[in-house]
Amino acid sequence: MEAGGAGRRRQQVSQMEMFSYLIAAGLTTGALYALVALGLVVVFKATQVVNFAHGEMFMFGGFFAYSFHAMLGVPYVLSLFMAVACAFAIGIVTDRIAFRPLMRSQTLVSVLLAMVGLSFIFKGIARSAWGSSGHHIAFPPLISPEPIMFLGLMVMSQELVVMGAAVVVMVAFALFFKLTRAGKFMQATANNPKAATLVGIRVDRVYMYTFGVGAAVAGAAAVLMAPITLLSPDIGFVLFVKGFAAAVLGGLTSIPGAIAGGIVLGLLEKMAAGYIHTGLEEVSAFVVIMFAMVFLPTGLFGLRGVRRV
Amino acid sequence: MSAILSVQDVSVSFGGVDALADVSIDVEPGEIVGIIGPNGAGKTTLLNVICGMAQPNKGAIWLNGTLITGRKPSAVAGMGLGRTFQSSQLFPGMTVLENMMTGLHLASHAGLFQSAFRTSAMRREEARLRAKAEAALDFVGFRHFADRPGNALSFGQQRIVEIARALINEPKVVLLDEPAVGLSINRVAELDELLRRIRKEKGITLVMIEHVIRLVMAVSDRIVVLNSGRKIADGNPVSVRDDPLVIEAYLGAQAHA
Amino acid sequence: MRRLLSPRNLIFALFVTLAVVPFLANKYYVFIANLVLLYMILAVGLNLLIGYAGQLAFANAAMFGIGAYGAGLLQAHFGVPYWLALPSGALIAMVSGTVMALPALRLSGIYLALVTLAFAQFTLWVMSHWDTVTFGAGGFSPPRIDFGPLPLTQPNGMYLLSWLAAAGLIWFAWNAMGSRIGRAFVAMRDGEIAAQALGIDLLRYKALAFALSGFYAGTAGALYGGVLGFVGPEGFDLLQMVLHKAAVVMGGLGSIMGSIIGAVILVVLLEVIREFKATMEIAFGGLLLAFVLFQPRGIVDLLRRKLGWDERLHYKAGPDQTAPSEPTPAATRKPAE
Repeated sequence: MEAGGAGRRRQQVSQMEMFSYLIAAGLTTGALYALVALGLVVVFKATQVVNFAHGEMFMFGGFFAYSFHAMLGVPYVLSLFMAVACAFAIGIVTDRIAFRPLMRSQTLVSVLLAMVGLSFIFKGIARSAWGSSGHHIAFPPLISPEPIMFLGLMVMSQELVVMGAAVVVMVAFALFFKLTRAGKFMQATANNPKAATLVGIRVDRVYMYTFGVGAAVAGAAAVLMAPITLLSPDIGFVLFVKGFAAAVLGGLTSIPGAIAGGIVLGLLEKMAAGYIHTGLEEVSAFVVIMFAMVFLPTGLFGLRGVRRV
Repeated sequence: MSAILSVQDVSVSFGGVDALADVSIDVEPGEIVGIIGPNGAGKTTLLNVICGMAQPNKGAIWLNGTLITGRKPSAVAGMGLGRTFQSSQLFPGMTVLENMMTGLHLASHAGLFQSAFRTSAMRREEARLRAKAEAALDFVGFRHFADRPGNALSFGQQRIVEIARALINEPKVVLLDEPAVGLSINRVAELDELLRRIRKEKGITLVMIEHVIRLVMAVSDRIVVLNSGRKIADGNPVSVRDDPLVIEAYLGAQAHA
Repeated sequence: MRRLLSPRNLIFALFVTLAVVPFLANKYYVFIANLVLLYMILAVGLNLLIGYAGQLAFANAAMFGIGAYGAGLLQAHFGVPYWLALPSGALIAMVSGTVMALPALRLSGIYLALVTLAFAQFTLWVMSHWDTVTFGAGGFSPPRIDFGPLPLTQPNGMYLLSWLAAAGLIWFAWNAMGSRIGRAFVAMRDGEIAAQALGIDLLRYKALAFALSGFYAGTAGALYGGVLGFVGPEGFDLLQMVLHKAAVVMGGLGSIMGSIIGAVILVVLLEVIREFKATMEIAFGGLLLAFVLFQPRGIVDLLRRKLGWDERLHYKAGPDQTAPSEPTPAATRKPAE
């Protein structure tokens, strides 16, 4: 009788632990998806184009950070900034090569095909530079990998760092749009490109920086994530699809929506993996997207921004 | 029920703004009705609602006695409604002749397999479509453009072809959205003549939005004036021109602009 | 001379040449020629969807895989004979592709892109993880295909089947695109709103485009399993997807002849650089990008001008070229009023 009660209690504790572990892991993954989605949303709002090479910005961010930190011994925080700068530059390259020459003279399909082509070039370059052996690269852990108790939940300390940093990046991003001149220009251009041109904003340049900023956020996300997962040249695409899904769940043009979409997706993935089958972690996001198209075509919040045929 | 097109108490609102409020218009067979009004009066919204590209929040629309509200645009087209657009909508990837033949989509029936196997029925049908398309180009005097790509024509020429394409399947009513926009004075005169010929020779009813007041006054039997989504006048061109409400709407809009 | 070099005659000559390959060439070249036939089917099928109907989708490699798995698994699990498994694989690909895309076809192109991407990833995952059915990541070998009583070895028999399928499907696409179906596709691509106003039911024709391209890719897949004697998930990944796109764009969007040319070039290039994945990614990604940027009408346009071809090139020029003389409304209203 007593033994049975204790057993049940133990079981309950372990279930609680499992739940809290899944929540923490889901929030962490979700924060990463949200960061990837953020960049996609910013670029889409400005240009009406989904950057198909966005995942590669993420992948490059991770690999640059790895090169600076693990190979060259640059301190983590400094390598973060360096990797973000590199991702920013690659975002600008994407604009100059695959968007700007096509945005006026070609159709949306052409622009997207060009971006798909460019993303494969990026992937091939990364594979020859970092992934030639075909193995995944492990980033050195930042802090001890021991779990700690936080607000009564058992969490991996690395996850806390990642989540905290993700929040910092999101706040910095919001402040950038609210406070800086460049951010205001971007917002004005996204809202009304014609009016922006009339008041003397150089729209081409704004688009370029928009691509850069979107890529920089993806790069930051990659550097944050690198210590808790493995890097490979193929990681960009997976993150791109999930970030894209998060953005669509959030309505595609809403930044808070993208963040919420990312977190919902991250939690769903971890819950499906924890309670149904571990194999589902990789694939549940894709299933969710397909169902969302049927039942929630305007996103989680029914936001406008869906253009019906 | 003698009206060929009947719009009854139609209201449309986008995000709390009334684009159309309780608009009713009856169009008699063979009429040319001009719709005018200041920018933002709801003219294009009205056309979109009639052809099924936007849905009204309230009201109903009948075409030739059949209720068409709530149907898909392609279904409404199938019931005999043609339409042209403000910006040219010729298909740039097709020749002018192919554009015209596409206008006969509803008048042709060859399915996928008939088309792929080029059955004799399909080939006869194609020949019939081609002849009809050529005749329709003749009607506007553009036969010599038949093999040019759609986008090789000037803007004004594209507009004319577009009107011819909207007419080719002999619809009961054609909606024209600013047919004269972007045309030179000479072209406007040609358009004037073309619209009269369409009515006279084909007996097709026309409903047109137009900003070129001279054209709309000259060719329309009746003019409907919209302002801020409401119908403020409906009558023959002369009475509408002298209507104080209409003058006020135009002057008011100019004063605000 | 120009008459002689018309696209029809060239395609005819190409298929005659391909027909005699098994009698003249060694096994390796028969295999390469067989790949050319399969990539022609894939490229033409994808071109119907992207080039003609204007629907940007990313599931072509997945359809290819579904065709291969569908046919192979029917043979392996249920002992279905190949003559029945081949069309079944193609039909399974056709149906699953169309059903997947249907909800997104109501929405704008971006959503279609996402759904097809997700579907492609999902398909790949099922192929490599559902071990009991698909034999997992290692793939499987479908049973040998017996062409008896015909005196054909499996490679030659598969070659003959591929030749017949390619010839039939290219002929089918050529005729269908030259008819009202093709016109409805191009109208939908060039202007959805105007197409609707002419009575073209968008959902119906988009679904038809998906069904057709799914059927083409599925047929190619079901043949591929027999040609290779092996089916595994790695052949149907993203790189495969970009190969198809590169072939279509290199050859020429909206041109059947273009897709035939693109497929030939693709297979030749593939044989040169097949060993290195990174090189393939850079090469085919680069070709895709370069053609979109510098020769968006594809190789077929260059040949067309040289040889005076009359195949209608259903290529939509961008807004810059659409109306060179289009004046701005502000400038043009003045003389009229």
